[in-house]
This record gives sequence, C-alpha cells and structure tokens, in this order.
Amino acid sequence: MSFEELEHTADIKIRVRGATLEELFSEAARALMTIVYKNISQGNIRRHVEVDADDTSSLIREFLSEILFVSEVEDMVITGADIHIAGNHLTADLTGEPFSRMKHCGGREVKGVSYSDLAISQEQDSYILEVIFDV
Amino acid sequence: MLPGIKRLAPLEWEVPIGTVPGMRVPGRFFLSEELAKTLEEGAVQQLANVATMPGIVKNSLAMPDIHWGYGFPIGGVAAFSIGEGVISPGGVGFDINCGVRILAIPLHEKDLVKKRELIERLFNAVPTGVGAKSTLRLSHKELEGMLTRGAKWAVDQGFGMESDLVHCEEQGAMAGADPSAVSAKARQRGMPQSGTLGAGNHFLEIQAVREIFHEGAAGAYGLSPGQICIMIHCGSRGLGHQVCTEHLKVLEGATKKYGIVLPDRQLACAPITSPEGRAYFGAMASASNYAWANRQVIMHMVRKVFSGMFDIQYEEMNLVYDVAHNVAKLEEHVVDGRQMKLCVHRKGATRAFGPGCADLPGEYAPWGQPVIIPGSMGTSSYLLHGTKEAMVKTFGSTCHGSGRIMSRTKAKKALSGREVRESLAAEGIIIRAPHDGAIADEAPEVYKPSDEVVRIVDSAGISRMVARFVPLGVIKG
Repeated sequence: MSFEELEHTADIKIRVRGATLEELFSEAARALMTIVYKNISQGNIRRHVEVDADDTSSLIREFLSEILFVSEVEDMVITGADIHIAGNHLTADLTGEPFSRMKHCGGREVKGVSYSDLAISQEQDSYILEVIFDV
Repeated sequence: MLPGIKRLAPLEWEVPIGTVPGMRVPGRFFLSEELAKTLEEGAVQQLANVATMPGIVKNSLAMPDIHWGYGFPIGGVAAFSIGEGVISPGGVGFDINCGVRILAIPLHEKDLVKKRELIERLFNAVPTGVGAKSTLRLSHKELEGMLTRGAKWAVDQGFGMESDLVHCEEQGAMAGADPSAVSAKARQRGMPQSGTLGAGNHFLEIQAVREIFHEGAAGAYGLSPGQICIMIHCGSRGLGHQVCTEHLKVLEGATKKYGIVLPDRQLACAPITSPEGRAYFGAMASASNYAWANRQVIMHMVRKVFSGMFDIQYEEMNLVYDVAHNVAKLEEHVVDGRQMKLCVHRKGATRAFGPGCADLPGEYAPWGQPVIIPGSMGTSSYLLHGTKEAMVKTFGSTCHGSGRIMSRTKAKKALSGREVRESLAAEGIIIRAPHDGAIADEAPEVYKPSDEVVRIVDSAGISRMVARFVPLGVIKG
C-alpha cells in the first residue's frame, strides 16, 4: 500500500508520499480509488482531465474531486494517472478499469475531499500529502 | 473535561472567547460528565473556529453527539445574522440534507414471521452501496422538478401521497432553490442516483416501538407499543457532494474577496447576501430538495414491498416525519428579546422546533416537531419532540445521532464485519449489506451509546423523549 491511514474519528485521513509532485498526485489518486473500491488493479480505459486552482493544495483537492467525479459518472475505477503540472494548471491522462460490483465492492463511498488539515510538505527527497476524505 | 472549558450547568459547557484567536462569541456545548471522556480536542477547536466567523449570533453550539469532523464539528449549530453574517458549505457538509424519516407500518412485531424474506425483498427493492444505480430513468426536466419541488415532485410522479408532505420538514421542499446554480456535472451525478440509498452510514432499518415515554405525543405521531416502523437514512447522493465541492471552491475565492480571515479553509464562506453566498444557498436548497425527493422515492419502494407481502394499503402506512441533519436554513428566532432573521447551519444536528411552530401540521402542533434520532446498528433509535427551551438555547436544534467515538482505522482493527454480523444475529438483528466491510465500519461499538446522548438532550430540555425503537433488521449501504 502506498499510503497510510491516520487517526480520524469521523472521516478518513491519509498520508501519501511521492518523489515528485506529479508522483504524489498520482499516488493520491490511487489511494483514493483504493479506499472507494478496495481491490484496484490496472486497466486500459483512458480519460483526459484538466484542472486549475489558486495554489498547490487547492490543485490536489480539485484533482481528487475530479477523480471522484469521473470515476462515478464513467463507471471507471481509475488505476493510474500520468500527470503534468505547470504552475497551478494540471493535466492528467487517466487509465482505469470498468467498475464491477463483484470486484469493486468492499470499499467506502467518499463524499468529498476536505480543505481541513490539507497539507503538502517536503521532507528530504519526497513530497508528503495529508488529506481528509469525508465518508 | 478538557482544560479551559467552563461548566455552566450540569450538562452545559462553555468554550470561552480566546480559546482560538478571533472568536466573536463563546462556544457552548451539551455533554454529560460521563461522555466528557470521549470529547476530542479537535472537536473543541472546530467549535471555537466557527465562533470566529463574521455575523455569528450568540454562541457557536454543539450537541452531545459532538465529534471531530471537518470545518464545523459534527453536532455543530451556528446562526448568522442575514445582514452581517455568512453562509458556509463547511457548516453543512458534502452530504447536503442527509436526513432521516420514519414510516409507521400497521403491523405488530409478532406479525413479522418472515423477517429474513422481508429484509431480502427490501434489499432487492432499494439500490444500495457504492456504484448502485437507480431503476428510474430521469429526463433533464424531471431532475429540474426534483431540484425545485423536492418531495412534492416525487408525489406528483406517483411516489407517495399529498399527506406525506406535511410530515416533512419544510414540507419536503425548501424555498429559495435555484437549479441554475447546480452545475451540469452535479446533475450528471444526480441523474442515475434518484432513489438510491448510498453507502457509508446510510441505512434502511426495520424497527419495533419498544417503549413509549410520552403517550400524548406518541398518539399524535401515530405510534403504539410493538408497532413496526421503517427508518430511512440517506441524503442528496453525488449531486449534493458535487454541489458542495464546486461551491467550496467559489467560496474560497469569495473569502479572500470579502477580506474574511478564517482559521480553517474548509470554513470558506461569503456574506449571505453576496452573489456567491446566494448562489451557494440556491444550489444547497436544490440539493436538499433532491434529498427529500430521494427519501420519498425510497419510502415508496418500501411501501410497495409491505403492500405486496402483507396486504396493506399504501394509505395505511403513515410517514411519521422527515428531518434534515446537514443543512443551512433561513429562520426567524428571538435573540435576547429581539426577533431576528438568521441563517441557521446544522451540521449533524436536527431541527427541534417547539410546540406551536408554524411549520408543523395541526395534529403535531401541540406537541412540537417530531425529532428522529437514529441509533447505530444494534442500538436503540429514538423519537423525540422539539421544545420551547430548544428555541431559546439552541435555535431550535438538538442532536442527530449518537456520534462516533472510534475511528474507522481502530474499528477495522478491533472488529471484523463477520463478528459484528454474528453477534447482532445472536440478538435477533439481521444485517444485510453488500459486503462485511460496511458492517465493521458502523458497528455499535464505534459510536457513543445512543441512550446516553438522548438522555442528555432530554435532561437539558432541548428535546423530550417520546418513543424508543429497537432494530430488528438493517440494510446497510
């Protein structure tokens, strides 16, 4: 597992690491999908998304919110994201597998990505994200 | 009790101004000595954070189911003056108008001989869990109807009766809905989900009335000992989540634009009368209406199952009441002797209007508004009535549930879904869920005891017990 679940009473708080900002965002997307669908693997469906925000922490919130949206309306479990960040603009080529009730049942529905305690920090050679998902 | 908190009365506590910088009013919450052990510093901090928001009136409040959430604490209530105050999605949450309704069935618990079959039929009738889709195929016009007219739209489509509407808070449709503030993306999420239960803490429960505390009110609400009831707990689904997500971004910008300084970005807000504040209110009211329509459609599915299995007419199954517990509403309250127009945010809190309030049907008016407090799986649920004290102390509000005390990570380590399912089965409570993980997450042990939370609101006078229900079977999302 590439993320750890931290203590939070009502919701799900996680910590994700990535060597680059792009990797951090990609890992965060996989973490989110693992929480919602539990068993995620690889897939070959492709989608392209773009999001903008005022700063990096807003950008991750917008991106993860977009992941929730695409996943729900396209019935697609997103398993990977090739990310490019230029300033506060993000483009991502998503890959995923079709949602299957049999395979992907067992996770927890995430209602939203919170700004509370949302933090991106740098530690030696890696970026660290902490984020709360409302479940 | 945590340091710095002052006791005002046996069950009332104050978080003084200065607990966090910039507080405009003190925080106040209701809790017993016993449950004080479960109070988290994070929740108190969030209660204090809310007290820094512009235009807050009297107190930042929390009910005894207070716990650490995001933005407002869960169990939080705050009222803002219309002229100087703000509106914030952080005071409502992602699941706009998450709420509960109780349907009274003209059956006694001894009539339920085929309980397992009933649960299976209900489970098959109501789409539940992550990824579940509705059997309804809505047109864009029909979705617009849901957003504008709420439960009334559902009744007009044949899902229920006119008489259901007067038994809903706001008659199942909030005024001020502005569907033009609901984006295409939110609609896209909402289209396939009308009449779905969702997942997480949402449920549909078969209950029996075990105890009546107040004969007069119970009679008026149509309940008798041993009677079967169905409790439905769900909200505005993906549509509401998307509305919150998008307006939060807009209001983040507005917070800066209007020079509002906040200790937590999730409290992003705008003046109620600003274009951004109005747009959020209009979208939030629309999502609330979607939720009322959603619960109305689900209730219709339940009536259909009972009608088929027990030869009961739809008209014999009476909706007792429907309450919202994640919402912001425009209400009038008397504050320090002065009538004020306020925007009351309730996040994990229930409206509990007292006797004689205008929004109640005639037969309920002498007793006050019915308040529905769901227990956790395996524990009692309660029906209470609103009081005059609540109008004075809490802007007519009370608790919404029992309140979590154990995180999901701890719950998962401590309990397996199978163990929880088997131990409840030993008590005669059947659980039906798409998977066992959903069960462990919501096991009775992860919540404060509902009996204690309800005892506190009753003793504090902010609502009074009418009846207690025990679970017989639960469908989890």
